[in-house]
Amino acid sequence: MSDTPQSANRLRLVVADPHELLAPQLAVVEASPPGERRLRVPLARIDGALEALVRHGGRLSALFLVSAPEPSLLAAVAFQGDLLALRAPLEGAREYPSLSRVTPAALLPERELHDLHGLVPVGQPDLLPAVPPDPDTFPRRVVGDQTFVIPYGPIRSGVFESIQYVIETAGEDVLALQVRPFFKYRALERRFAGVDLDHAVQIAERVAAIAGVAHATAFCQAVERALGVEPTRRAQRWRVVHAELERIANHLDVAVKLAEDAALSVGAARFAVLKEQIQRLRAGLCGSRFGRGVLATGGLAAGPLLEPKTVLATLDGFERQLKRDRRLLLRTASFTDRLIGSGTLDRDAIDDYAGVGPVARACGVAADARFERPYGAYVRVGGRISTVDDGDAMGRLRVRLFEIGESLHIIRQAFERLDKYGPELRAGVPASDGAALGWAEAPMGEVIYWVEVANDRVGTLRISSPSLRNWPLFADAFRGDVLTDFAFIEHSFGLTPAGADR
Amino acid sequence: MIEWVARGLRTGIVTSRYPRRPEEPPRGFRGRIDVLRPEHGDAALTGICPTGAIAVDDARRVSLDRGSCILCGLCVSADPERFAFGRVYETAERRRASLVAGEPPPHDLHELRQTLGERSRTLRRSIHIRHVDTGSDGGEEWEIQALTNPYYDIQRLGFFFTLSPRHADILLVSGSVTESMRAPLLRAWEAMPEPKAVVAAGTDACSGGLSAATGVTAGGVDRVLPVDVYVPGSPPSPIALLHGLLLATGVLNDEAAA
Amino acid sequence: MLALAAAVLLPRIETRLALAVGAAGSALLAAVGVAAAAGWSRTSLGLGSWLGFGSAHLTADGLGGIFLALVGATGAAVSIALLERPPSRFVATLHALILLAVATVVAADQAFVFLLAWETITLSLYLLAASDRDRPGALVSAYFGASLSKIGGASLLAAFALLYGKTGSFSFGIWAGAHDLGAARSIGFVLLLFGFGSKIGLIPTQAGLPPLYGAAPGATAATIAIASNAGFYGLWRLVFQTLGPGPSWWGDVVLVLGALTALVGILYAVTQDEIARFLGFSSVEHGGIILLGFGVALLGQSAHQPDLAAAGLLAATLHLIMHGLAKTLAFLSADRVAEATGTGDLQPLGGLAPRLPRTAIGFGLAVLSLAAMPPFGGFVSEWFTFEALLQSFRLGSTTSELIMALAAAILALTAGIGLLAFAKLYGGIFLGRARTLLTHLREPSAGVGVAGLALIVFALGGAAPWEIRWLGRGLEAALGFDPAGSTISFPLVLGPVYTHFSVLAPTWLAAGIPAFILTSALIVKLLLRPPVRRAPVWLSGTAPGVALVQYTPDSYANPIRVVLSSAYRFRRTLEPPEGGSADAHQRVLRTSVTPAFEAYFYGPLVQTMLRVSALTRRLQSGRLATYLLYVLIVLIVALALIPALHNS
Repeated sequence: MSDTPQSANRLRLVVADPHELLAPQLAVVEASPPGERRLRVPLARIDGALEALVRHGGRLSALFLVSAPEPSLLAAVAFQGDLLALRAPLEGAREYPSLSRVTPAALLPERELHDLHGLVPVGQPDLLPAVPPDPDTFPRRVVGDQTFVIPYGPIRSGVFESIQYVIETAGEDVLALQVRPFFKYRALERRFAGVDLDHAVQIAERVAAIAGVAHATAFCQAVERALGVEPTRRAQRWRVVHAELERIANHLDVAVKLAEDAALSVGAARFAVLKEQIQRLRAGLCGSRFGRGVLATGGLAAGPLLEPKTVLATLDGFERQLKRDRRLLLRTASFTDRLIGSGTLDRDAIDDYAGVGPVARACGVAADARFERPYGAYVRVGGRISTVDDGDAMGRLRVRLFEIGESLHIIRQAFERLDKYGPELRAGVPASDGAALGWAEAPMGEVIYWVEVANDRVGTLRISSPSLRNWPLFADAFRGDVLTDFAFIEHSFGLTPAGADR
Repeated sequence: MIEWVARGLRTGIVTSRYPRRPEEPPRGFRGRIDVLRPEHGDAALTGICPTGAIAVDDARRVSLDRGSCILCGLCVSADPERFAFGRVYETAERRRASLVAGEPPPHDLHELRQTLGERSRTLRRSIHIRHVDTGSDGGEEWEIQALTNPYYDIQRLGFFFTLSPRHADILLVSGSVTESMRAPLLRAWEAMPEPKAVVAAGTDACSGGLSAATGVTAGGVDRVLPVDVYVPGSPPSPIALLHGLLLATGVLNDEAAA
Repeated sequence: MLALAAAVLLPRIETRLALAVGAAGSALLAAVGVAAAAGWSRTSLGLGSWLGFGSAHLTADGLGGIFLALVGATGAAVSIALLERPPSRFVATLHALILLAVATVVAADQAFVFLLAWETITLSLYLLAASDRDRPGALVSAYFGASLSKIGGASLLAAFALLYGKTGSFSFGIWAGAHDLGAARSIGFVLLLFGFGSKIGLIPTQAGLPPLYGAAPGATAATIAIASNAGFYGLWRLVFQTLGPGPSWWGDVVLVLGALTALVGILYAVTQDEIARFLGFSSVEHGGIILLGFGVALLGQSAHQPDLAAAGLLAATLHLIMHGLAKTLAFLSADRVAEATGTGDLQPLGGLAPRLPRTAIGFGLAVLSLAAMPPFGGFVSEWFTFEALLQSFRLGSTTSELIMALAAAILALTAGIGLLAFAKLYGGIFLGRARTLLTHLREPSAGVGVAGLALIVFALGGAAPWEIRWLGRGLEAALGFDPAGSTISFPLVLGPVYTHFSVLAPTWLAAGIPAFILTSALIVKLLLRPPVRRAPVWLSGTAPGVALVQYTPDSYANPIRVVLSSAYRFRRTLEPPEGGSADAHQRVLRTSVTPAFEAYFYGPLVQTMLRVSALTRRLQSGRLATYLLYVLIVLIVALALIPALHNS
């Protein structure tokens, strides 16, 4: 068991103190909960501040409209391992200098802020309404006699979540692809307002069901940080177990979908069997196949229904089967041929759009919130960030298959020394006020929550979804690929519209 | 490719025998909430539920609307004498009102098997399902996709998923119908030929679930389309969905015979 | 016979009357042709010797009769079509002149008359294509086409001169009887092949003809199509009947060239956006197919297997007739489309079938026949060509067998691509939803000529046995026997001259297929009576304009372009639009197709010729002194040469 959760392939930049870096922008350090660093900048300087950070390797992780301590624009920037919160008080203004010229990762968040809250980014080139979208009208990107449009979605060919892709093609290859999320917009951020903490956890679990544990973890972390609560050790370890089981299930799901696309029926069936085993294990642990009802602010809502040794025995059998299936899958040429070279992304695109998750890790970007900004039991339980340099669909699959092995390793570590910890599952949560960021590594990337708590109730809550951050990369991933590669590239991304649309 | 065949053969048969034989959920499984003691409730109980599924009427009888229940368990931990998890898979009902119950209803496997047998006489073909996601949280899609995995394998019963609504008999809807998905959902329904049945899968589809309060969704599929079968659950497990599909087959049998 | 000269009379002041007379004359011509081929009567018109170079006659014998019938029938249809929407006087004159010239070419039995008429055709084609000077690209096309035709004519002249030198006469009959031609026979073959090929569009002259079609005003594109029959006639008469039999490499060369022409033609056609040019390249392709049959005939002739020669020649002639009729119908229908919509381009059209039903039907029949769909005529003739090519095992020579087999393979490929191309053409014009909204769309005219031709094309397939009987009699003189006897077996079933090889029954098909369709439709309508409900197109739940999301003609043909990208040298760029646009992401798609042929063959050729001419231009220095020097040099050389020649 390692005590230092560092990854071997992180770039060592010249460490600069952000406060000094942003001094020209009149940045002021604010009180921040542990793990976060808050800086206040004037609204007019926010683009300059972000530019300084981006130039030194920072990545824009979230752009929120927050209410505490006053209505402000909050830009969460992942900078040299920390999460910097740049807060710019609005002071009644409705306009702000657009951040999209600094980094394209700001494009979608700014459009969302504009559509939902009426904040106008000055200088943003693309302010067509995104939320909620009209299914019948879409702008054309390519002009030419020979091109025509395939509106793929929102109802798609198969049992999939609803999202629309506007594909412009001249018959074989994809000339331009527009991703239109927000067909499933449920205004869940608003739903949290005024809700007590126990109810709020239920909502957080249902923002994106397949990443429900990660979302609930991020929410609970945010509340615990805001109120200065430390969950019990036992609860933290079990949180990690559930989070990793969720990660395994997601990665297996990607393998199932890719194998189905390649018409590899037995392969798809085998991986579906493995995924079903994990889902049943989760149901045995907590009564819900999606890990619902496990987390609560301060720890766990209820104890596990299975002994750790039962879980480990099941996972041992699972791992034996997985190894054989994984080896066979990667040796099946008719399958790997479809993935190699499809949907290639380069590193610049990832950096531009601040991509996260396996999509980023497949391009050599070592971004993983578990090990960059360790939270919960990850501080003690270590693992390796897996990166490859391929950048194509095959790389993304390889990263995921490797991570399944890593997750099993993490679960085993989490169970070690569990008997040394006290039996308490939940720490007390004081009835005080506070506001903080919380983050967790969902299977598709880092999810960030901003939670404001007052009188035991949630105030303003904002979510930065990894699926929404990665979706602009999807449009970029089509370079000379044909329509038949579409399914492979889409499934290799493994994103969820429910999380993106909220 | 031969190796895959060998691998598949070595896996053996893992398929469930449902509905020929009942499926037993694991211990502690959250299938539905049963109201153990409906009498002598007080108004404070209604605040426990995030979706407001618990109701106490003037006679102080407590009822729980399964169509709105998201199986969070807060009521069970608040009042374990009164509320408990039902360890059962089959939760589907044909009428919305049947989902509001004081006591747990019985279910009959024999009747379901008869329904399947009848179908082969009246419709004489397999049943095709078109799924539409109108704003779910993504869990229902996983469970619906799981229906074709070797454990449940609905194809052995003659159910198939189809891509075009023109070939569909059943419209399986998940999600609470957001504004942007309303027109596409209606178009999918109109494109289906008679006889057709609509199955609302998941609590969001039955009643709007958690997102009903924000007002940006329609609040359930039955606000937009006539629903024939309600399958509550958050999300409903694959067997629950299968149970719902079998009920829908009964609906199709009735329509076809008429 | 007198019909020949009197009826197809030339320029009249009154255009309509001229066209009417022209129509009548063509019809009479057709009658004469049919009669001549059937052997009922032979007519001859003596021209005496006043044209010089020996006596000349205009005769209609068996072979000529076939061609006369074809020219006459199609000419009549075109004249009637022109009559309904008369063009300018000039164009009408040229139309009549072309018909007269073609008829003369077919009827002539003497080289001088032949050549005179041939050059008249060339000149008229040039004038016709250049008549509408305002049309963009017309002049260039006319120039290019005329240049290639001129080169072909020069080649013919050379061939005739050679044969005159050897035999001392211009008469075809005497040439046919000559036995000691030696090398002149083969040289003559090459020259004649090139010359006649230039009128058909044989490689390497295939790029000349289609632009002419595009440049011709109105329905006269069909007239140009009729004129290309003259080239085939020349081959039939002069190469097969007069110069043959020759060595087997004649047949091999023709097969190879024919196959390449067919393939290149259809590859060009698939990427065309203009309807007239598309049909022009399709003509080139079918010309290649006809030559495949002709090549087999030559091989059979040289191997002294009359059955094989008959199979080939029958196939080629049959395809000639089927194609000629169908292509004329296609051109006339295309002209109607252009007249109704105001554009000859494919891209802006779509969904015209409900609004131009009669044109749609006519065009549809032509397209079905050209794409070789059963039970239409094109199917029958391509079947015959295939069968002729499959007789390769009867030859002794391995080379020829191999070439025949390869030619059959290429024929199959062109047939497949041809189907794709015609699906793109017809679908792009008439089917689907309209890509641009056109108002005031009416049928341009009653279309009597088109209707008549359409009926003929419709019936061609089923009437194949009777056509073959007629053709057999017409080709008897050339082949030495009447192949119809062994071709037609019991009852109304066809075989490729060889009995017991394979069979086709187009008449039964023509009766059976519609009967089957009709019975099925009746059964469904009357017995099954399914309830029908119409619902909008399913598009993933969206409802944009359907015209936006359907395949465009270009994108339909895109896979071929991608697969054969090396042959096409396909370039595609996405550029930001000039002048900017509101949406920063907008791009304009630009594609360019540089067919390999033009890049690797025409390009260097033209470059070389330009360089040579630039060099020779230096001789024209413009100074008086230099010219005087030239005169002095020539004088000295002449003074030196004449005594030298006189002594030898």
